[in-house]
Amino acid sequence: MQKIKEVQEQQPFAHWLNGVEGIGGVWARKLVEAFGTPKEVYRASEESLLAIAGSSRLAGLLAAQKREVYKEYEEMDQEGILFLPYYHPEYPKRLLQIPDSPFGIYVKGKPPRDGERSIAIVGARNCSAYGRYVADAFARVFAREGVCVISGMAKGIDGVAQGGALAAGGSTYAVLGCGVDVCYPACHGTLYEKICASGGVLSTYPPKTAPSPRYFPPRNRIISGLSDAVLVVEAKQKSGTLITVDMALEQGREVYAVPGRITDRLSDGCNWLLVQGAGAALSPAQVLRELSETVWRNHQPDGCKAGAMTLGESTAGAGRVIGKATGEIDRQERALLSLLDFYPISVEQIYMMAQREKLLCALALPQLMELLWRLVVKGFVMDEGGYYGLKKPI
Amino acid sequence: MFSAVNTGGIRGMDAYPVRVEVDLSRGLPCFELVGSAGSEVKEARERVQIALKNEGMVLPVSKITVNLSPADIRKEGTGYDLPIAAGLLACMGVFHASDFLHTAFLGELALNGEVRRINGVLPIVIALKKEGMDTFLVPAENAGECAAVPGIRTVGIRSVGELLCYLKADEEERQKRFPTYERESAGQVKGSGKDFAQVYGQESVKRAAEVAAAGFHHLMLAGAPGTGKTMIAERIPDILPPMTEEEKLEVSGIYSIAGKLQTEGLMEKRPFLAPHHTVSPQAMAGGGRIPRPGLLSLAHRGILFLDEMPEFSSAVLEVLRQPMEEKRVHIDRSYGSYTYPADFMLVCAMNPCPCGYFPDRNRCNCSPADIRRYLGRISGPVLDRIDMITEAAPVAVKDLYEAREAENTAAIKQRVLEARERQQFRYQKSPYHFNGELPGSEVKKYCQPSFGGQRFLEQMSEAGQISARAFHKILRLARTTADLEGREKIEQTHLAEAVCYNSGRRRFWNQISM
Repeated sequence: MQKIKEVQEQQPFAHWLNGVEGIGGVWARKLVEAFGTPKEVYRASEESLLAIAGSSRLAGLLAAQKREVYKEYEEMDQEGILFLPYYHPEYPKRLLQIPDSPFGIYVKGKPPRDGERSIAIVGARNCSAYGRYVADAFARVFAREGVCVISGMAKGIDGVAQGGALAAGGSTYAVLGCGVDVCYPACHGTLYEKICASGGVLSTYPPKTAPSPRYFPPRNRIISGLSDAVLVVEAKQKSGTLITVDMALEQGREVYAVPGRITDRLSDGCNWLLVQGAGAALSPAQVLRELSETVWRNHQPDGCKAGAMTLGESTAGAGRVIGKATGEIDRQERALLSLLDFYPISVEQIYMMAQREKLLCALALPQLMELLWRLVVKGFVMDEGGYYGLKKPI
Repeated sequence: MFSAVNTGGIRGMDAYPVRVEVDLSRGLPCFELVGSAGSEVKEARERVQIALKNEGMVLPVSKITVNLSPADIRKEGTGYDLPIAAGLLACMGVFHASDFLHTAFLGELALNGEVRRINGVLPIVIALKKEGMDTFLVPAENAGECAAVPGIRTVGIRSVGELLCYLKADEEERQKRFPTYERESAGQVKGSGKDFAQVYGQESVKRAAEVAAAGFHHLMLAGAPGTGKTMIAERIPDILPPMTEEEKLEVSGIYSIAGKLQTEGLMEKRPFLAPHHTVSPQAMAGGGRIPRPGLLSLAHRGILFLDEMPEFSSAVLEVLRQPMEEKRVHIDRSYGSYTYPADFMLVCAMNPCPCGYFPDRNRCNCSPADIRRYLGRISGPVLDRIDMITEAAPVAVKDLYEAREAENTAAIKQRVLEARERQQFRYQKSPYHFNGELPGSEVKKYCQPSFGGQRFLEQMSEAGQISARAFHKILRLARTTADLEGREKIEQTHLAEAVCYNSGRRRFWNQISM
């Protein structure tokens, strides 16, 4: 099974074996080891299959033997989808180390390279503006430092993180709970295309498999398995994200959590992880520095980006950097800025605060609105659909 | 023996003159009613015969033929009883029809001879006045609305006996016994007793209501339960500018046709309609076999308030589309089409998601799909016609107690009136009344910001991801905020405020796409 040519010849059968009903990763591997090659499994007689696989798996195998192996494989091949069985030289080595490692993995785009540093960014789908901002900011810095971002392309944190990595020109890999040719969620069509182009979309499920709730927990173990560390941005106390964390711990991956306010239910999961001993992610630079001292100590930059650790300025303040904006501000604008926080609040709340603090008291609502928008235009303040907060760093 | 008297009928919103021709001739005794009469018009034969009998008049034993001319328009309603009775009396020689060429008769008869109220008197009177009628004999209960039309003599009739009395009397006696009905001058319009001063906090929403009222902009209040959306919406009618005489006649005409006009006469206050969310599309648009004005038309020149807007059936919400665009409702029937005016100000309130707390993720547990479905119930075209989408954010109890004395309705109304005057002056030579009515093509003409304002608007749209679609809405709103401040030029403040009233759209509808 060592020669590339031989591996190539076996590809249609490996793909076939991966799709057999009732045969999981462990059994597929056992069958290949018993028969020598997937092709032999395909050609095996009923008696020999019964002897090795047992009666419960026999029916599935026999039914599958009737399928047109080459045609199915060619269809997939034409769509540019790769199948990497565990013995394939391009099969990610990291996956071989994890318990219950998959028999093979489908890839649309490029498979992740073994030398590449990678961090998974995961979190809630119903995330807050804070979570969205943090995921985006971390992913951008990681991408700039040549660390690839791995996630599940889900709505919320996952998608935002991958979008951020792409925007910063980095590579990112998405692990799906459906076939790699199925874009789920459908609203991430553009993101999906971009990920295929710059990184890759991965799945253990054969192409055309529709998403199903039971497919998602197993795919979470691939996300953590492909990464050196898992960063949780926002998660509720009981969530799928925490399943990924469990998998990561089982696989011996580093776990980082972004601390949140104790009043935010969306940060409960993260804060709880911190209590349990997860690393606190205070800024992307700090996470990268800690990882480079531990997991990546022996990492050789493989040419993707030279001078990997040029953190310099961004290390300072660990995230508490106030955005530099342009333009002069007058006394009134300064007073208004003093009322605002990074957490956006409504005009109503700002008006109430101004009344309470006896700041800008004389200002009527229309003038307050003008003042706010002047600051938005000057880049000091962010407008989030009628809610205003200080512009965040990065 | 032949005679004819004048009356009028209603078709949709239009009134037209009708001549009631009565003929008595020899032949088998019978009572024929011809001229495209509907079933309730045909029944007039029984009501008229018996009412006359009970007033002591016996119909002659002869062939009676009544024709309602023009005979090709379908007649509906019960207002033909009194003119038919009058026509018969003329044929019987009780009075000379030629003396009453400029008199119109309207009214329904009861079997005991009483005259009962009918619908649609006001538009009929207006139409017949144009035809040269100067004296109107109408049911006493309808005298108020009839008298609202200037330059005519209104005579309220209670029974067939009074009718006889009037017809037989000479001019002097008539003047004495039937003085022209004088409409009591409308006193101060009574407020609802609901005042903006009772609303603590929500200053920005109250201000939004003020802007909406001043420019007649459609307003949506989105926000969590218990934030005062309904409370504020209910107070908007009191700050609206009063109706002009022309508007009063227009609105009263619709109410008259719908049979909803009070006996005092005209509608003095702008209508405020708040239908329940179980309302049917027909009730909303108007309809029925014989079309009648629906709620959209009854809200003409007033407010249509839809509380919990996404709870309305999608059919009802889609019905809003055409009227919001064309300001009228069109109903087609096999025997013709009807058009009712429907120029209302839409005020709607809604929660942003099924549980009501989105986008507060600490309290809202709705999935993005749930929220999208909920917000999606309000279709794009309807949403697109709403200029202002404002969030009523939750108010902290602490703020309620600390709130300083809130402004009362009278003070707000004063500003709205001034803004209204400016608009009246600006649009005196155009078909518009309010800024909110300006179509996109006219926005450029009337809502040109100052040079600095233009630049600021561009900067804001860059910094705040404001879509080009929203520009017209923002300019229209800025026109109103400038009017409220008494400025002719649209400056930065006005534009910034207008942008803020567009924020709900970005907050709720743009966020769900993520």
